[in-house]
Amino acid sequence: MSADRAADEPADAPDEVDPTVEMADQAGLDEPDLDRGIVEAWAAKMISNPDRAYRATFYVATIFFLVTTLFPFYWLFVIAVTPRNALSTTGVLTPGGTPRVDVDLPLIDAALSVPVGIGEINLASFAQIFTTLPFHRYIFNSFLIATVATVAVLLVGSLAGYVFGRLRFRGRNAMLLLVLVTSFFPPAAFFIPLNRLFNTNVDVLRPLISAGSLYNTPYAIFIPLSAIFLPLSIFILMTFYSQIPDGLEDAARVEGTTRIGALFRVIVPLSAPGVATAGVLTFISVYNEYFFSSLMTDGQPGNWAPMLEGILRFQGEFEVLYNLMAAASIVAVLPVAILVVVAQEKIVSGLTTGAVKE
Amino acid sequence: MSTDTRADEGGSLLARPLDWLETQSEEVYAYVLLAPAFLLLAVVAFYPLIETFRFSLLADAVASADPFGEFVGFDNYVALLTGDTNFTQQFVSISTTDSFPFVGFDAPFLQQALFVTLAFAILSVLFETLIGFGQALVLDQDFYGRRWVRVSIIIPWAIPIVIQGMIFFLLFNPTIGFGTEFMQWLGVFGDNPLSSSTDSFLIVLVADIWKTTAFMALLILAGLQSIDRGLYDVAKVSGASPWQRFRYITLPLVAPALLVAMLFRTMDAMRIYGLIDSTAGCETVPSLTCLVIIALQESRRWATASAVAFLTAVVISAFVLVYLLALRNSDGGVA
Repeated sequence: MSADRAADEPADAPDEVDPTVEMADQAGLDEPDLDRGIVEAWAAKMISNPDRAYRATFYVATIFFLVTTLFPFYWLFVIAVTPRNALSTTGVLTPGGTPRVDVDLPLIDAALSVPVGIGEINLASFAQIFTTLPFHRYIFNSFLIATVATVAVLLVGSLAGYVFGRLRFRGRNAMLLLVLVTSFFPPAAFFIPLNRLFNTNVDVLRPLISAGSLYNTPYAIFIPLSAIFLPLSIFILMTFYSQIPDGLEDAARVEGTTRIGALFRVIVPLSAPGVATAGVLTFISVYNEYFFSSLMTDGQPGNWAPMLEGILRFQGEFEVLYNLMAAASIVAVLPVAILVVVAQEKIVSGLTTGAVKE
Repeated sequence: MSTDTRADEGGSLLARPLDWLETQSEEVYAYVLLAPAFLLLAVVAFYPLIETFRFSLLADAVASADPFGEFVGFDNYVALLTGDTNFTQQFVSISTTDSFPFVGFDAPFLQQALFVTLAFAILSVLFETLIGFGQALVLDQDFYGRRWVRVSIIIPWAIPIVIQGMIFFLLFNPTIGFGTEFMQWLGVFGDNPLSSSTDSFLIVLVADIWKTTAFMALLILAGLQSIDRGLYDVAKVSGASPWQRFRYITLPLVAPALLVAMLFRTMDAMRIYGLIDSTAGCETVPSLTCLVIIALQESRRWATASAVAFLTAVVISAFVLVYLLALRNSDGGVA
């Protein structure tokens, strides 16, 4: 897609630029002597040359979107570096405790307190989150659950994606529809029986899990989440696997590899971008999930409670640790933020194939 | 040789099933490979769904060890829909001093929850579509730094729900956030927005729009980029204004992608739980999923909770059907 765009663009560009220059010149020649203010001149230009107005709208919109999406993160940082006793004076742009001066606004009857100078910047909260609570353990739990779920989804999804993408068999469409339908249902519709199931003591599990039930183990979170995010990965992998030419698979088979061998030695390596896409999306989804993550453990770090319980702890158990909540949020958001920066193409293509297929 | 069969390396334990697999028809092979996926889906989705439905037909047994009583047919649904089900005094006493769940204070909770969920789904999808379209149009341009603008638009989509909740919890916390002060200055919010249903609903709505608009934007962008650029050149030559080009070329051609994106978002918005739980709390803004958890945890009414959960699934299916019909009409090429 983007290759097409790039090819088209140079051809378009001169067309757009030339009329602009001509128009501007004309406007300048026709009305040279009119005495106009800045605003009026600007408005006149916009009317004589609509393309310019659209361009201006574009810049305004871009800046607006950038500010609205990024500002909350900046503000979270502001809270995190505010010393605890100054939290109530946190400003819109500056940490609490910043010296301020009230300035009366002219036309409207209001005063605006303008920050002057820099107050105390308290970076200690980024260390305190690990000493107040074992927040690193929560993060580790989340990482472990997300990684295991991703591996499980890729393995199971690869097999299923290969079948749906490359094989013809009876009941294919019906089975694909069945996979699709599961993603329609809300997790709440699965939760009650699962909760019961995971709380039952199974004696067989006793040697493996001390309590004998799956509640308070990572299994209770990653098994449901693997299944819930499996359909999306199946669709993504299906699309990628179906694009590998049959000849390559046949060649591998002639060389003497097994059917499974052909899948994992030829199809999967050749579809590496697709596998990466499905992997990144699954990892982010599992790491970000709330419903099962918050309900399948009792919130103790030793019982494999994920990161979200850690953050909520700062809200609940202790009094007002707002700055620690903000610091913990920033720390927990960094892994996914980095993943987005590194793998944005994969995320975009994954989300769009997942949707277009359906 | 590198193309040795795996059977040679894997020992007899792995070799036997693989050998067996080699001799089977393609159809059997397909079913064998699908088995793990369907096993997982069966344990986590199909079986629980059926069980949820079965539970919902049983009576609540709040006091006994087994939370389910005898078979009562559709009584739970009837009680829920007619408003006879009484949850523990949860969210009557706390909030609703204002008029937000317009169905009234003593209205049945299901109606409140249904209203909140539907209002949330419709409003959030509406705003996300409009803003997402704007973002998609921006990203569709070629400009310096486009990659970084795209990253910053996607980032809210990728952050954990609990952190999204935390940001808006802090933003509208009366002591530290400036959000409350600002909204009070506008005359919209009361004293403590996070414990008032109306104000909290708005906060949750804004938080959701902030996070998930990016998803809409990306799907719409995919639709935009599949449009043949030649159409715009033809329109330009015929003297169509940018607005006309948008109205008569972009909008109709992007409509199928738009509907698919809206379908996804609606399904997702109807499941809202985590955002509410981490900001205002389920008692203040009761959504359907919240109701399931409240019935389960606060009052141990497992059967009623199952009925609510199944009703949620039914409501979502109804929405999906509406969208699928719309898609079929718009010739979206959906199978």
